[in-house]
Amino acid sequence: MTRRAPWGVLIIALLMFGSSSHAVQAQAGYSASALYNLANAYARGGKPGLAVLNYERARLLDPTDPDIDANLRHVREAAGLPPESRNGFARVAGIASPRILAWVGVLGILIAGAGAIARLYYPRHRRKLLAATLLGISLLGVTIVSGVALWPIMHESVVITHAAPVRVSPVPIEEPLFVLPEATIVSTSAQHDGFVLVRTSTGRAGWVPSSNLAPIVPKQVDRRRKSG
Amino acid sequence: MVSAIAVTIFAAGTALAAAPSVDAAIEPSQIALGESARLTILTSGSGTLSVSLPVVSGLEFRVVGQSRQVQIINGAAIESTTTIVRVTPDVAGIFTIPGVTPKSPPLVLQVNPSTGNGSSSLPNNGASPGLAPLVPGGSNASGVRLTPDGSAFVRLEIPKHEIYVGESIPVQIHVGMRDGFVASINGLPKLNSGDFTLNNLSHQPERAAKVIDGKPFTVLTWRSVLAAIKPGTFSLTFETPLTVRIRTRPQRESTLDDLLGDPFLQNIFGATVPKNVTVTSPEAPFTVLPLPAQGKPPDFSGAVGTFKISTDISSAKNTAGDPLTLRLHVNGTGNFDRVESSMLGADAQWKTYEPKATFNPADTTGNRGEKIFEQPLIASQPGSHTVPALNFSFFDPGTRRYETARSSPLSVMVSPSAADSAASEPPPPSAAGAPADEAHTGLRPDHAAAEARVDSLIPPYFQPRYLGFSSVLALLFGGGWVALRRRERNAHDIQRERERLRLQMTRTLLEQMAAASADGDAAVFYNCARSALRQTLSARWQVAPEQITIADVDARLEGSDRDDIRQIFALADEANYSGGDLQAADLEHWTQLVRRQVTGEDPS
Repeated sequence: MTRRAPWGVLIIALLMFGSSSHAVQAQAGYSASALYNLANAYARGGKPGLAVLNYERARLLDPTDPDIDANLRHVREAAGLPPESRNGFARVAGIASPRILAWVGVLGILIAGAGAIARLYYPRHRRKLLAATLLGISLLGVTIVSGVALWPIMHESVVITHAAPVRVSPVPIEEPLFVLPEATIVSTSAQHDGFVLVRTSTGRAGWVPSSNLAPIVPKQVDRRRKSG
Repeated sequence: MVSAIAVTIFAAGTALAAAPSVDAAIEPSQIALGESARLTILTSGSGTLSVSLPVVSGLEFRVVGQSRQVQIINGAAIESTTTIVRVTPDVAGIFTIPGVTPKSPPLVLQVNPSTGNGSSSLPNNGASPGLAPLVPGGSNASGVRLTPDGSAFVRLEIPKHEIYVGESIPVQIHVGMRDGFVASINGLPKLNSGDFTLNNLSHQPERAAKVIDGKPFTVLTWRSVLAAIKPGTFSLTFETPLTVRIRTRPQRESTLDDLLGDPFLQNIFGATVPKNVTVTSPEAPFTVLPLPAQGKPPDFSGAVGTFKISTDISSAKNTAGDPLTLRLHVNGTGNFDRVESSMLGADAQWKTYEPKATFNPADTTGNRGEKIFEQPLIASQPGSHTVPALNFSFFDPGTRRYETARSSPLSVMVSPSAADSAASEPPPPSAAGAPADEAHTGLRPDHAAAEARVDSLIPPYFQPRYLGFSSVLALLFGGGWVALRRRERNAHDIQRERERLRLQMTRTLLEQMAAASADGDAAVFYNCARSALRQTLSARWQVAPEQITIADVDARLEGSDRDDIRQIFALADEANYSGGDLQAADLEHWTQLVRRQVTGEDPS
């Protein structure tokens, strides 16, 4: 009886996690379709920066939707931006939405853990249980790869104004080093006094007024504040 | 003072008898203050004669030229030397110049107060051994004071002689060089006063050709700004280093130079040698007034001149968070290096940054122009805002009082930030119901928004809730696996330890059997044999050694092993109660039996 207690705790925790996630989904918030439609509206309104921003957000929720990729590519071309290149990690991350891959990771932990423990109890089925353990580890690996691929997006922003001057320091006194065109995606690393330190895909870095940028993944606090 | 310098003239004597004589004359005998007269000292005869320059308070004597002639009269050589001395008075008055020799009569020079004209006071008689046509050391009709050899001059042109501390006035420095007689100019004009500063001296002078007193000159003109650093009465001069060519041909041969005409030809024929000289301008008097302490505004930064200001802003409409640029234009004439402004201070409406200043000069000296101060501003809140008026204080030397210029306030309309409404506000509508414009016809159509919404765009595996849950799950599995694995390993360890102890005890019993055999102790021998067999059988049957009896042996063993072991158990009981004799053959037999059972090997 005492040996079965941890499994009971696990089942209860799983049920609680699932119910809380379901409760979150029921609330108003982001959806891939809504973001995609919003991006289309911005694109038709001649605002490629906000269009790219919402396409990227929609793709974050549904990376398998070909319409998002097609319209994003179209808007980027219309804005005169080079086509984006996706590496192997990004392709792996694009096989399913992060939410599904998160559950796949949980399932992987369950299979790998159960298989490893069962091997101790059932030595006669060690090979079969070893295969199950490896399968669980592989599923967890897919989730980890997806996380690695999406981690840079957590720190990326889109230029939403017509042009964003990039300066060498976070003060608007000196002449800008260069100007970022609208809809450019940059990685951000620091903030200071209303400025954000950005780095372009070509490696050029500088400070941009934060009002010229919008993060692809808004922070939870910001979202709550805005919605509030 | 040059007048204190004694010049000794050596008239090289010859073998001819001729008593040396000295004549001195000053021309003109009446000059105005600021002009110079020429003192000509003529020595003639043979032998050596020492002539000293006179010393007169208020007069400056400077030797500007010398020539020597040798004449043969009736076979006798008579040498004569002519020395030209420039006499410049410091003050007006009537001066008596003592004779250059004790026997020479005194000379009288009358100096009248300055009349303001720069007329030449020296006759242009060509007495100078260097350059005959020009008068050395004096001023000509153009107000130019030439060098002693007449080859160059430096002249300062200033608009006024009374200025305020810090006030900048434009000056022009003219350096004239007679064509062909100045080999090179070796540096920029230099100010000989620590009471003034010279700013923005032009690096490339303006070059012009002028004819002064009939002689061609090249005049280089530098423009600059002069400023006084302290009040008082001063005089300043400028000097310029030059390399001039000095004529080496005797005066009597000057006719050859005149025939050659062109100085270039004179140089070819070796009539001149180069010499480095420093040409100094006449002294220019200045009265420097202090700035009045009364009425000085608190924000006065030291700007002296005449200025006007205006302001503008980069955009009258802006978005909250976007920087604006407020500009203050200061136009006018004066010391722009002291034109400063702190611009707008921070307040509730505006977040301000340090201003940046740029100066756009309207002339080469930077005395006129426009200084622009640019200050970034960021509106903290959307709405209608007003940029307050800016003030700028300066001292106007024209009106001789402090002035404060004031700009007009500016209005700015600030709209909410686009980033704030990026995810929540609807986009600006294109023409309602109209088809998309041509640039966006390639867009795929909208989707039906039917799926569930999520609270955050952050992927679940970056959310603390997911990370915590999955970590707990992994820790539970990992911890359980480790615990089970350790327990299994501990069980193996106990069994292994028991086996080790059993083997050790068995070896001890076998040794005790051997000892008992040697001592002939049957009870000990058989008891040790029985105990060794019990240890072996207990490991085989997984029962405690002391629980193994003859009945267990009968039940679990078969064949000869059962009989032998059963007999040992019986002999051990018998030996305990009755003792018994040990036969050597029996001991060997039982020892081999026990060893075989214990080790599993056949001793034979």
